[in-house]
Amino acid sequence: MKLIKPVSTLLTLIPSIAYIPILIEVIKGFHIGGLNIIFLFISSAIKPSFNQEVIKSAWEGLQITIAIALTSWVISILIGILLGVLSSDLFWKSIPKFAYLGKLIKYSLAVPRSIHEVVWGLLFIQILGLNIWVAIISIVIPYSALSARVISEQLDSFDIQPLIAIKQTGSNIMSSLITSILPKLIPIISTYGSYKFECAIRGVTLLGIFGLGGIGTELYLTLKSFEFNEMWTCLWMLWLVMILLEKFIRFIRNYSFTNINLKNSFIISISIFSLSLLLGISWLYNLNFEIFTSISFSYLNLPSFVEIRNGFNDLPLLKLIITTILITFFASGIAIGTPPLLLLLFPGKFSLKVQNLIWIFFRLIPPPLTTILILLFTNPNISVAALSLGITHMGVMGRLLTDNIINQEKNIYRAIKSNGSSKQSATLYGILAPQSNSYLAYGAYRSDVILKETAIIGAVGGVGLGWQLQESLSSFDWAQVIIVTATFSLLTISGEFLFNTSQNYWLKNSTNNFIS
Amino acid sequence: MRKRLRRIHLAKLAITVLSLFNFSNIGSLKAEEILHIGAIPDQNPERLNRLYKILSSELSEQLNIQVHYKPVTNYAAAVTAFRTGDLDLVWFGALTGVQARIQNKGSKVIAQRDIDEKFHSVFIANKKSSIQKINNINELQTLKDKRFTFGSESSTSGRLMPQYFLNKAGIQLKDFKGASTGFSGSHDATLFLVQSGSYEAGALSEEVWKSNLERGRVDPSKVFVIWKTPPYHNYHWLAQGNLDKKFKKGFTKELTNVFLRFNEKSKKQKQILELFSAKKFIISKNENYNKIEKIGRAIGKIK
Repeated sequence: MKLIKPVSTLLTLIPSIAYIPILIEVIKGFHIGGLNIIFLFISSAIKPSFNQEVIKSAWEGLQITIAIALTSWVISILIGILLGVLSSDLFWKSIPKFAYLGKLIKYSLAVPRSIHEVVWGLLFIQILGLNIWVAIISIVIPYSALSARVISEQLDSFDIQPLIAIKQTGSNIMSSLITSILPKLIPIISTYGSYKFECAIRGVTLLGIFGLGGIGTELYLTLKSFEFNEMWTCLWMLWLVMILLEKFIRFIRNYSFTNINLKNSFIISISIFSLSLLLGISWLYNLNFEIFTSISFSYLNLPSFVEIRNGFNDLPLLKLIITTILITFFASGIAIGTPPLLLLLFPGKFSLKVQNLIWIFFRLIPPPLTTILILLFTNPNISVAALSLGITHMGVMGRLLTDNIINQEKNIYRAIKSNGSSKQSATLYGILAPQSNSYLAYGAYRSDVILKETAIIGAVGGVGLGWQLQESLSSFDWAQVIIVTATFSLLTISGEFLFNTSQNYWLKNSTNNFIS
Repeated sequence: MRKRLRRIHLAKLAITVLSLFNFSNIGSLKAEEILHIGAIPDQNPERLNRLYKILSSELSEQLNIQVHYKPVTNYAAAVTAFRTGDLDLVWFGALTGVQARIQNKGSKVIAQRDIDEKFHSVFIANKKSSIQKINNINELQTLKDKRFTFGSESSTSGRLMPQYFLNKAGIQLKDFKGASTGFSGSHDATLFLVQSGSYEAGALSEEVWKSNLERGRVDPSKVFVIWKTPPYHNYHWLAQGNLDKKFKKGFTKELTNVFLRFNEKSKKQKQILELFSAKKFIISKNENYNKIEKIGRAIGKIK
């Protein structure tokens, strides 16, 4: 057993300090004006609308969302595998002459994944119009690039001796590659792939809020017309479907990937992908989307050099970048700090299960909706943006932490508790401590996602690049749109580098490793 | 069996990929042309759905073609859908109409309602706030440091014109409480937010205010009008320039005439006019919106 270092455990709690400035600002701006609406919103949770029409349109919205998610998930995983293998060092070991190609692919993939799927969606809708492929492409682009990165990193983290050995026997390069890569690829895909499917559903829901259809659109419309009962119908249905899907995926994973030989698990993977793609596409076709009609392009007049220069002069870029970073900073604090804090405040097995379910719920509420709700009782400022992003990602972090704890050995906890320590300190040292390094590593990755997602918090006027992007888009100012998107991309790429470094630091010291 | 399934699946995949790159036209059988209509989502979606369902069926009957209503979730999306050709005929506000026309040369303003010639915005306030009724534009100063909300950021009567008059009175967006004003997204939402007290004041279209008054959705003990703006041109039907080519010669003229003929004698048309809060539709032209274009450019919503 490793000696428990309380340092990183306490570090998991430190981010929650972000609450102090946020709460001060929220409370300072607090007004009772929106209190009755908030009350209405909360009380509607227990009496969602059971109107036939509402349920029907929510169900249709859900189907659209899941079908789009399924289709784009398969495509992105397939492209991700291809690009992931192509950008791994392992692959080019066998053809070292062209290794620079691998590096080239690896670095150029940073660009597509630095831009949030919603931003891709808003850009593609300008070129392709109201078309179901806009949603699919917008998910596929960043997700393939992200999967490629994870896959290549995982591949490269393995021992390459077997490959060299196989090569030395003089066998064919291609077949030696396949025999050495495949066994490593399949477990990554089965864990990472199923996690990514759930992300895809969240992504498509977000796209819906920006008008690309599905349950997101239903959620947005019901909230915008303040029909809270109807909104809760959608939210509860989404929550239920997510839990069922999760159980289903876990079942398939346990059933099909344990104790089966390589060949069979390969066949299973292939058939899961084919069936999912087939299901996704025919589902969309059944929902009356013109999925097989050719896409027509409408061209945009690209802005001239002078227009772009003027755009640079008009935009308060520095201020926008600073507010964006502040939002990311505070939102990450809330997202990373809250789950461990709650765990310490409410320890116990039952409480853990309850927290686990609560986190699934928070994870499902899209940040733009939270913004609208928070704005009802406080003034628009940076805190509102930070809080709404923080809440969703707090759900993601919390879910991960509680999941891991439920699956973790309880020996240390029991040992400490039998020594007569309190429940709290037993939780701190026995439950939280073994998790903290990997939790912090994952937190670093989350901050990266949060930074990307600030692009979609546009409801708070004058704050952040996200707001500017929406303002420029609704003014159809393409020069500004290009500048803001490029700035965003640069910011996220540097953020990725930074978070990556800290992620590696935490992983190096981690006792239990989980991919995400 | 699996092999066959996979082959079918591969064929489908191939079709999908091909259609993605526009190499094949499978499935796009030349069907009967459909008139796609749309509108900026300025009011609650259930009301818009009701209105445009009746309107689609009436237009379909009068013109003897298929008419589909495609809802969108925000103002900018309506403009985009018009530019990309997904919508043939759109009910735009003055600002979005100009934005759409600039990006889509050849499109034409065909009609507007009687009330759109002299359209007004109203500034409303919550009774619990200390805001009083005002008599002239300079008194808008009293709104400084209050919680204030516009409607959609691309709304003419819910943002552009109110902001124009606020600027005239010497108030900038940063003068309100918080980082800026709120953007509720629609006129109905503005009314709801001010009435509930989330915002102390807001601006919205007089038409929506009146229709909510009539429907009993305004609580006079909670919210009241503090000022009405001078008149300006607003909403209109904007048609694509290619409709005559797409349907038949003289189609745009015929379409315009259908709107101009709407009257209260026909039950369906009466219902439509009521939902539009109008007595009748009148002819309109691009030039009516020159002033709006100028203001739009000054405020930065038109480039």
